[in-house]
Amino acid sequence: MSSATPSPVPSSAHGHHKRHSILPAVSQSGPKPPVQFSSSCTIADSALLTGPHTIIVSTESVIHPRARLESLGGRVTVGRRCIVHERACLGAADLQGRYHKGSPDKEGRSMGAVTLGDYVTVEVGAQVESGGTVIGEGTTVGIGTRVGAGAVVGKHCTLTANSTVAAGEVIPDYTVIYSNGLRRIDKRGVSDLKNKAQARQIDVLRRMIPSNPGKFQ
Amino acid sequence: MFGNNRLPAFHPGLTQSRIRDTTTGSGLWFPGLRSPPLPSESDPANDQLPLPITQEDLYDTPMAPFNPYTYIRCPCSELNPYTKRTPDVTAQGLSRAAQDDDDHTFDPRAARSNYSLYPLEYLSFCEDCHQIRCPRCVAEEIVCYYCPNCLFEVPSSNIRSEGSRCTRSCFQCPICTGPLAVNHVETPPDPNQLLSPDHASSSHSGSYILSCSYCNWSSTEIGIKFDKPNSIHMQLAKLRNGGETRLTAKERKERRKEQASQGAGGGSSTGQGEEDLDTLLDMETQFANLKSFYQNQLSDANGTGKVGGDPSAALGNLGFDAPASLSRIMSLYTGSSSLHDKKSKSRPGTMREALAPSEGLQLASLDESSAITALQDFESTTGLDAYSSTASTTQLQSQAPYLGASPLHGLTRFTSSLRPIPYLLRTKRSKRCPQCRHIISKPESKVTTTRFRIRLIAGNYIPTITIKQLIIPGLTPPPMPNLPPDTIEPLKPAQFVLTFKNPIFESVRVTLATPATTPGRFPAKVTILCPQFEIDSNTDVWEEALKDNNATSSSSQSQNLSSSTGPEGSGPGGRKRAGTLRPGTAGGASLAGEELGPEVGKVWERGRNWTSIVIEVIPASLVQTAKRDGRGPIKEDEDVLEIPMFVRIEWEAEAPEDEIMPGLSSAKGGNKDGGKEKRELAYWCVLGLGRVARTL
Repeated sequence: MSSATPSPVPSSAHGHHKRHSILPAVSQSGPKPPVQFSSSCTIADSALLTGPHTIIVSTESVIHPRARLESLGGRVTVGRRCIVHERACLGAADLQGRYHKGSPDKEGRSMGAVTLGDYVTVEVGAQVESGGTVIGEGTTVGIGTRVGAGAVVGKHCTLTANSTVAAGEVIPDYTVIYSNGLRRIDKRGVSDLKNKAQARQIDVLRRMIPSNPGKFQ
Repeated sequence: MFGNNRLPAFHPGLTQSRIRDTTTGSGLWFPGLRSPPLPSESDPANDQLPLPITQEDLYDTPMAPFNPYTYIRCPCSELNPYTKRTPDVTAQGLSRAAQDDDDHTFDPRAARSNYSLYPLEYLSFCEDCHQIRCPRCVAEEIVCYYCPNCLFEVPSSNIRSEGSRCTRSCFQCPICTGPLAVNHVETPPDPNQLLSPDHASSSHSGSYILSCSYCNWSSTEIGIKFDKPNSIHMQLAKLRNGGETRLTAKERKERRKEQASQGAGGGSSTGQGEEDLDTLLDMETQFANLKSFYQNQLSDANGTGKVGGDPSAALGNLGFDAPASLSRIMSLYTGSSSLHDKKSKSRPGTMREALAPSEGLQLASLDESSAITALQDFESTTGLDAYSSTASTTQLQSQAPYLGASPLHGLTRFTSSLRPIPYLLRTKRSKRCPQCRHIISKPESKVTTTRFRIRLIAGNYIPTITIKQLIIPGLTPPPMPNLPPDTIEPLKPAQFVLTFKNPIFESVRVTLATPATTPGRFPAKVTILCPQFEIDSNTDVWEEALKDNNATSSSSQSQNLSSSTGPEGSGPGGRKRAGTLRPGTAGGASLAGEELGPEVGKVWERGRNWTSIVIEVIPASLVQTAKRDGRGPIKEDEDVLEIPMFVRIEWEAEAPEDEIMPGLSSAKGGNKDGGKEKRELAYWCVLGLGRVARTL
């Protein structure tokens, strides 16, 4: 139960030429978290879900193989039509290895570790630290980006590759973080187009990634 | 040199410290990367001994690992390599670094030598002169011009007429210099506009825009849209920021011709007085107006008669300035005719300056209140954040010259006035030796191939030197604890293994020389244990494999046997092995009990085409010397141990056949080997061994 082999049931498209990855087999270690999956979400078999708190994945979201969702610091909520790519980590520890808990909000409720809005894309290798981190709707967290604990990223932002958001930072809506920490406002007005494109991409991904939500429930 | 993106960034002369070892473990550069002076150094009144020093005291940022390097000095930096010069004659008189006199050694820390030292990968070799050539002394010629974005080769005739930028659809984002892509936008039709009879709107309603995929900038932010997805450069020249159209040079000429043909001849002069003096002219229009105005003035001033009219008009196009010089030159040719002289003198040439914008006059508006209010009320009028809307200096400097801008006014510093940057064209260049004009490197003229037709690099002619610290488990004393890695302890002997690898197909004899102490503020004592040795030729790998199978480690007879039967002999003479011995073999006086250690006069190890020797260094103490000599704290990279070394290589090469007199070479040669020419090459190089620890 804890050590799963990394070979999901191949779909008809693969045939007998399936190439196995040279990376070591991922194994599900640690406590199995309580989950709330929507019926239409896609969770790959080799995704890694750990932690004592709940992990929520909403309608039509896609979790790629080898993505990590860690609820060691609190609850992890993935919104609707989100895509979490390989090796991305939601609820990661910070650079010193600590899992932040996050201060409770005004009503006294716990903020949870990581909250993703709708239509969010978390690219390959991105690390979203736990501790009340909020990623707004439509935001793209770029490849290798690190979002600090407790940061609040606005809607429809673009964090380009390898950028950093400091802990606790508040990023306004429609911000583009590029180059060495430079910021500018995105004035293209293409949010609707991006959402439509994301929906189309999710359609394709749902056919390509074999989903196995039963493994985690 | 061979594709700038392949070699690491090396800028000779950029800083005094060549060792820009700026990579730490995480790959980021920290501004405080160099080691700071010790606390006791900054306070000169403090004469107390420092407390026991740990690594945290010495370096408060993690020290980058030091990679030993070898830099070779190109002989082009010698002032006059053929005559000896005294130091007083040199211009600077600072140091005698550049001279290659036998009395003067090479100082790698002199400011001047920084410009002549290069790693081996940067150097080429001229086969005719048998000399090293560096990027500074080669002469470059351009093979072809191409755009780095679309890889389209631009013929050199176009460069003169259209400039050195791409004239197709290749642009860089003005904000982040990333490549711009042409995107189609579907604008929903405006219902109000559809009803109105004329669709004439100030903003150009096109359906293509340029957008940056990195910083998400698009040309809609400056109000520019295009009709067609190709030849963007041409469409962009006709558009201003904000969407207003602009006339190009050709269109303006056509309009002027139409006006001249339509309007009455006299009507234009009366219309000038009513022209608005404040109309803004852009650069191209102003220049064109001025030029035509002056041409008219010249032709008017020199008479409308046949004799004076035609030649002066023709000469006016050539650009002769004042009518006085024109008449002077004309009188040279027609000096005999006094009638003509009187004519030209009587008309002094009344020329006036431009009086109106149509003639090229542009008044500077001294009232800058509009520009000031635009700056002050920017946030309230546009609703944008003023700081992020201000263009940075780099963004302004990377802009291409725009002929539609008005030079005196209209140059704002806002990002809304930035324009997409056409890509600068790049060149493929061939290099020639400056003395014998032999081609050293020549790339293919086809843009997409990266091969070279001719490529003579120094790495194929000069032995490569690699450096490694020698640590023998039983013999080398253990280092001090808490010592940073790759540092050398002062006042203790340290040994380094230098491996010389021979690239050519002849065996070479190498002679090394180095001053007994290194130049600079902290002299170290250097001893080369084996200054003269041979390196075998670079033969096939199979030769060595055959040799290992046939022979034991110390017998030389089988080596000769295998070399003669091998497919590629090292030369008719075979290998010369005079004066070199392996460690531990009988034949050299080896002291009892020291057979494992390096011995004087013997090579450390040898292989198929390489030889290793040992050098020993005793660095000076940094801290105590710095306190005593009063020259201030230890500067950046002054603690690096650098050894200048003089390398002389001798080898025998095939003598070139003399085609004119075929019998001459054999008569000249007279060697037993028959037609072999002795060649030698000598150069200075600098070995960077490591940093000296600041413990003493």
